[in-house]
Amino acid sequence: MTTSFVDVDVRSILRAGGEPFEVIMSAVNALAPGQGLRLFATFEPTPLFHVLGARGFSHVAKPIDGGDWEVLFQPSGAVRPDGAPARPASGDGAWPAPVRRLDLRDLDPPEPMVRILAALEAMAAGEVLAALLCREPVFLLPELAKRGHAWRGGFEPDGKTYALLVRVGDAREAAA
Amino acid sequence: MIGVTISRWTMSYFAAALASLVAALVLMASGYGFPSDPIRAPETLVVVHLVAIGWLSLLMCGALFQFVPVLVAYPIHSNALPLPALVCLAGGLAALILGFRQLAAPVGPEIPYLALAAVSLVAGFALVLWNLGRTLWAARPLPLPARFVVVGLAGIAATAGFGAIFALVLGGATANPHLVEAAAAGLPIHAVAGIGGWLTFTAMGVSYRLLAMFMLAPEHDRAGTGAVFYLGAASLAVVVLGGVAAICAGRTLTIVLSVAAVLGLAALGLYGRDMIHLYRVRRRRAIELNSRMAGVALANLAAAVALTLALLGAGAFDRHVGAVVFLAAFGWLSGLGLAKLYKIVAFLTWLESYGPVLGKAATPRVQDLVVERRAARWFLLYFVAVAGGTVALLADAPLAFRGLAGVMATATSGIVVELLRIRRLADVAVALRLPDGVHRPLLLVSRARQA
Repeated sequence: MTTSFVDVDVRSILRAGGEPFEVIMSAVNALAPGQGLRLFATFEPTPLFHVLGARGFSHVAKPIDGGDWEVLFQPSGAVRPDGAPARPASGDGAWPAPVRRLDLRDLDPPEPMVRILAALEAMAAGEVLAALLCREPVFLLPELAKRGHAWRGGFEPDGKTYALLVRVGDAREAAA
Repeated sequence: MIGVTISRWTMSYFAAALASLVAALVLMASGYGFPSDPIRAPETLVVVHLVAIGWLSLLMCGALFQFVPVLVAYPIHSNALPLPALVCLAGGLAALILGFRQLAAPVGPEIPYLALAAVSLVAGFALVLWNLGRTLWAARPLPLPARFVVVGLAGIAATAGFGAIFALVLGGATANPHLVEAAAAGLPIHAVAGIGGWLTFTAMGVSYRLLAMFMLAPEHDRAGTGAVFYLGAASLAVVVLGGVAAICAGRTLTIVLSVAAVLGLAALGLYGRDMIHLYRVRRRRAIELNSRMAGVALANLAAAVALTLALLGAGAFDRHVGAVVFLAAFGWLSGLGLAKLYKIVAFLTWLESYGPVLGKAATPRVQDLVVERRAARWFLLYFVAVAGGTVALLADAPLAFRGLAGVMATATSGIVVELLRIRRLADVAVALRLPDGVHRPLLLVSRARQA
């Protein structure tokens, strides 16, 4: 294997009670074509397998000393094994850093959905919004797809916070 | 994961369910069925099945088609199957009612209504099970609330299986001695699997998620929640599997039902503790009407358990089983159902109407679709009448019971009118009601929008 790996160690963030999702995703976004990611975490980051799997990364996880885990994410081509492009990552690989961040964890449903859709309307095509939610926004995701936005999301390893990234679509319906 | 869309036929299920509830209450008020007729009389069976299948099961199916995908964050297997399922269930219920009337007064054309009912209801529930089962199967591993639903679905399979045997035996379609034996002894299994397994256990599972969602309470599984699941599932397994074994062995069901009761009461006790915890740790201080009324329904479940224990202690359970079932069906299950309908109809109507224009135009909030003060009066009237009706049954006062059933019918009709107003956006300020691009929703069908 000739894949080179970029090391990302989020163990100190996790031990401090922090949320490493954005750190990991920005590292992933910064990878050169063909490059992989070597992640060090305090537990097996199962939700991340799904998120990065949708972006065409295969993974090998192994426990290391002290109960920590080392995971190698390796680009396995831009498509899933079934040949279909991964839906949440429709578009391309690297996303720019978010221009807006919303912490919506204390709002009643469906207020987070309202805030996100309103914020997206005020953003330019290609810009990225980052939002923190307290549950998977199951009714929002089809609306994002319908409006031509791409999204990536998943639960933080603690299972309590859902981190969502939305990139405003080029093909969105013309808003006045 | 591509999210969840609006279930097209859920509103049709809700409408059929509410029509059945009002019809059953009007029959009760007019003195049809228990307590004016004996508890096993065909007239009572008409009312019981109008409530159990027409109201509670259709309500549950409609809600599950929408909320199983939310529980497991996975799209429903088929958005088309709910319609033929509804046709089978409604047709089967009509045949069942005609079949019971045949039993009461064997006149009219000799159509095998009960056999038709068995075929049609089994087909309807099989379609529901297939659709929800495929959805759940695809979404494994399942979160705990969804596993409650799986056990609930096993409960409806057992209930419908026994019900079909009863219908075939009572309707004279079979004289197979094993089936006749099952029909003679299986009534407690049919009733417990239906009320306890299908309706109560499913409602418990869904309540963990919905109440947490609407009150902003943390959803993390507590250790006790797993115990609720295993104790409850074990209780139902004992009733169904142990019950069938006892019937095959020619034994009575006393031991089986006693063991199941101990397990079931332990599960309900721990469930009550979880619910109290959920209300206490909620981050939303001022809760909406639906959550307050769900609290009243939960209190009615506790009251039904307390009444059961008191009657067992006094040796009077068999004589007053009607009052216990009434309190469980109307105080707990129907109370919870009406409370949650009030929120679900508003939320789904809001999402269907305003979802496409959110962020693009000024839109009302979900709470702008409802007028809680008006609805609260109907809910209060309903729960007071249920409490009174339970007392009237315990006091053997059938006339008072009929009057209170009439009050329940009135209160339920009031709630139905509120739901219709929500669906028609009638209480939304005119300036906000129909922004450009928004259509008034259809009453009985949702326009499912594809992404």
